[in-house]
Amino acid sequence: MKSISLYVDKDSYLTRLHPFAKMVYILAAISVPFIGGALWMYGLFLVISLGFLISGGILKKVFPLIAFSFTILITIFLIHGLFNKENETLLFRIGALAFYREGLLYASRIGLNILNMLLAFAAFVLTTKPADLVDDLEQMGFSPRFGYMITSVFQIIPQMMGTMNTILDAQRSRGMETEGSLITRAKAFIPLISPVVSSSLINTRERAIALEVRGFGSKTKKTFLREHRLSGGDKGFMFLMALLIAASVVWRIVYGIH
Amino acid sequence: MAFIEVKGLKYKYPHTSKLVLDGIDFEADKGQFIGIIGENQAGKSTLCQAFAGLVPTMFRGAYGGKVMIDGVEASKVPIAVLCQKVGLVFQNPFNQLSGAKDTVFEEIAFGLQNLGIPREEIGKRVEKALKLLDIIKYKDRNPFDLSGGQIQRVAIASILAMEPEVLVLDEPTSQLDPQGSEDVFQVVEKLAKTGITIIMVEQKMEKLAAYCDKILLLHRGRQVAYDVPERIFSRGDLRELGVEPPVYTQVSKSLSVHRKEGEELIYPVTLKQIQKQKDQFPLTLSGRVRQPNNEKQEKDIFSIKDLGFYYIPGAPVIENLTLTLDSRPTAVIGQNGAGKTTLVKLLKGLLKPKTGTVLLEEEDISGRTVAQLAKRVGYVFQNPDDQIFKNQVLEEVMVGPLNIGMSRKEGEQRAREALEMVGLLHAANENPYDLDLSERKMVAIASVVAMDPKVLILDEPTIAQDARGREVLGQLIRTMTEKGKFVLAILHDMDFVARYFERVIVMAGGKVISDGPGEEVFYEKDTLTKARLEPPHITRLCELLGYEGTFLTTEDIRE
Repeated sequence: MKSISLYVDKDSYLTRLHPFAKMVYILAAISVPFIGGALWMYGLFLVISLGFLISGGILKKVFPLIAFSFTILITIFLIHGLFNKENETLLFRIGALAFYREGLLYASRIGLNILNMLLAFAAFVLTTKPADLVDDLEQMGFSPRFGYMITSVFQIIPQMMGTMNTILDAQRSRGMETEGSLITRAKAFIPLISPVVSSSLINTRERAIALEVRGFGSKTKKTFLREHRLSGGDKGFMFLMALLIAASVVWRIVYGIH
Repeated sequence: MAFIEVKGLKYKYPHTSKLVLDGIDFEADKGQFIGIIGENQAGKSTLCQAFAGLVPTMFRGAYGGKVMIDGVEASKVPIAVLCQKVGLVFQNPFNQLSGAKDTVFEEIAFGLQNLGIPREEIGKRVEKALKLLDIIKYKDRNPFDLSGGQIQRVAIASILAMEPEVLVLDEPTSQLDPQGSEDVFQVVEKLAKTGITIIMVEQKMEKLAAYCDKILLLHRGRQVAYDVPERIFSRGDLRELGVEPPVYTQVSKSLSVHRKEGEELIYPVTLKQIQKQKDQFPLTLSGRVRQPNNEKQEKDIFSIKDLGFYYIPGAPVIENLTLTLDSRPTAVIGQNGAGKTTLVKLLKGLLKPKTGTVLLEEEDISGRTVAQLAKRVGYVFQNPDDQIFKNQVLEEVMVGPLNIGMSRKEGEQRAREALEMVGLLHAANENPYDLDLSERKMVAIASVVAMDPKVLILDEPTIAQDARGREVLGQLIRTMTEKGKFVLAILHDMDFVARYFERVIVMAGGKVISDGPGEEVFYEKDTLTKARLEPPHITRLCELLGYEGTFLTTEDIRE
């Protein structure tokens, strides 16, 4: 079955790092440059994130994400470089287009921010199994119903796509043309909707019963298959991140806003 | 007081007027194995749900009487509490999965986690259930990637691991190959010996006769009888009740082998009992007279050459398969996962071969779309719900004919004929989703038959069918063959294969390991063992009685 989660199944120190530790990293990566306010802080976290991704062996998986974000970044640079209302100092010209220093600076701040967040999240998402994260959240006290909702999405969406393919096969078998031009395919899609929806509704009802029979409504405290405690390394890592955030606060007080 | 007591149980679903259960009364002791039989809509599944408390707690409706399990009233306790005492295995295993776990191990552990069982204990129980059902090799696989038969095992394991005192199973072997269903019965019997009470709905009468202590016979919601298998299957009115007794009993009846209990005639119901009364059977029987091979040269329908297919490179599902199919009705048999469904999907063009060619009446089908082939090759899916699109039966059956360009008038006529053939003409104006599974399967078959294809492919048509349904199907296969159509079916029911199919193809591991008329294939012991299959019941019976000759169906028993 195709998975819709981005998790890369690869054993590395990053996949072993506790999901909470990775979440604290995201927090630090976003808050430090925000609080500290200096551009080089973005750079620092970009380098750290890239370091994580390279050492975790998952850099390749980030490229499509970066490529996608570049289309947005370019638009931001164009708009702010050309039209930012604080534009004063002319930096360079390309034909009739005049780029200004203030707008470009502002755009690079946004751009770095986006890239930074993207890489920090990537380091988390690509190395964390959704089921593990939900499990840890439940161990922390989130309700199992909430947890079920999240994990079932990761199972049920691919399953629905599977059902859709089967139903498509059934329609083709009954002589409906589904291959060929875009219009043929679009036409074939409409009669798919009703059987897919009704079969999912029937499934949902049955699944609710199945859950009951498996004791899902039980009042007893649930057992967890893995007890995922924070290791010494996890704690050390989280402490370091807290330290960085504290340092950024100090920096801000000492140096003020730029 | 007995361990299980059902007293005057009555029930009807909300917004309906008919009682689906009407006055059920019986008792069972701890560790007994109880079978429930009856034709479709006898109330079997509803009764199962009443044991698990789903009726009335989940479904509401009007409920009367009592179901007591070990002193607990099923309708009065929450399902989450009751489920520790009563485990229910559903008819459709796909719906039994939690849908939130991505390995088989975690899926089976799910129920135990909810009940707060200590972790070490969960590990032990899951391992035990995995071993018992022979699925330990799939431990780390995603349950949704497994085949129907494998999912059924996962579903049973997931309930077994919860170690209920009563295990209720609703047709648990319908998707399994013969060996697989025998395994399930053996596991369940073992459990009964450890003191777990078993309640099982099944269509496989031979198995129930061999394993059950008592059988509950239902008909249209009413309890007809509750007795030991010999007495139930010796009744004279089974035909009217839509139940076919075990093949062993049918044979004994036709040879009038019985013993007397007072005024009643009691017939043997198992191989063991037949062995005890062996001296009453005739010494020899001649068996089937094989028609002289007047093989009129049949025209090839399909010629398959060097066919190969895989879903994942390096894991071939079909390898180097060369085969010609003519218009004799042909059954494909083999273990779950042998590549049977993949093969027929390749014939239908739903899958494209990775190597080799498929010729349909001498024309390569690789250049055709599935829709173009639809006129000539009809394929009925295993799960009817995947192919029901409309909310009226007649409209549903007309979808195909209209798609391939028939006029409305002609389409409707064909649709009515097809519905007549499957015995559902009276339901033409109903909503297919209001029909039960066996009827929906028949609608699916009719909707393909109505397109009047040259080739009719059926994927496990006998699942969920009772004796009457199987007869309707058999008749349909004969009619289609007489009309010059080619029927190709995937089947697990060997008695059905032996009765209605002239040619039998045995598949194992993506290859054809035997091919020929039933008279030959079912006597190739090594092949059958290799494919984890069993010969028809009659064949085994006659071998035990030492008859020489060929015996495949009850008609072959003649003095």
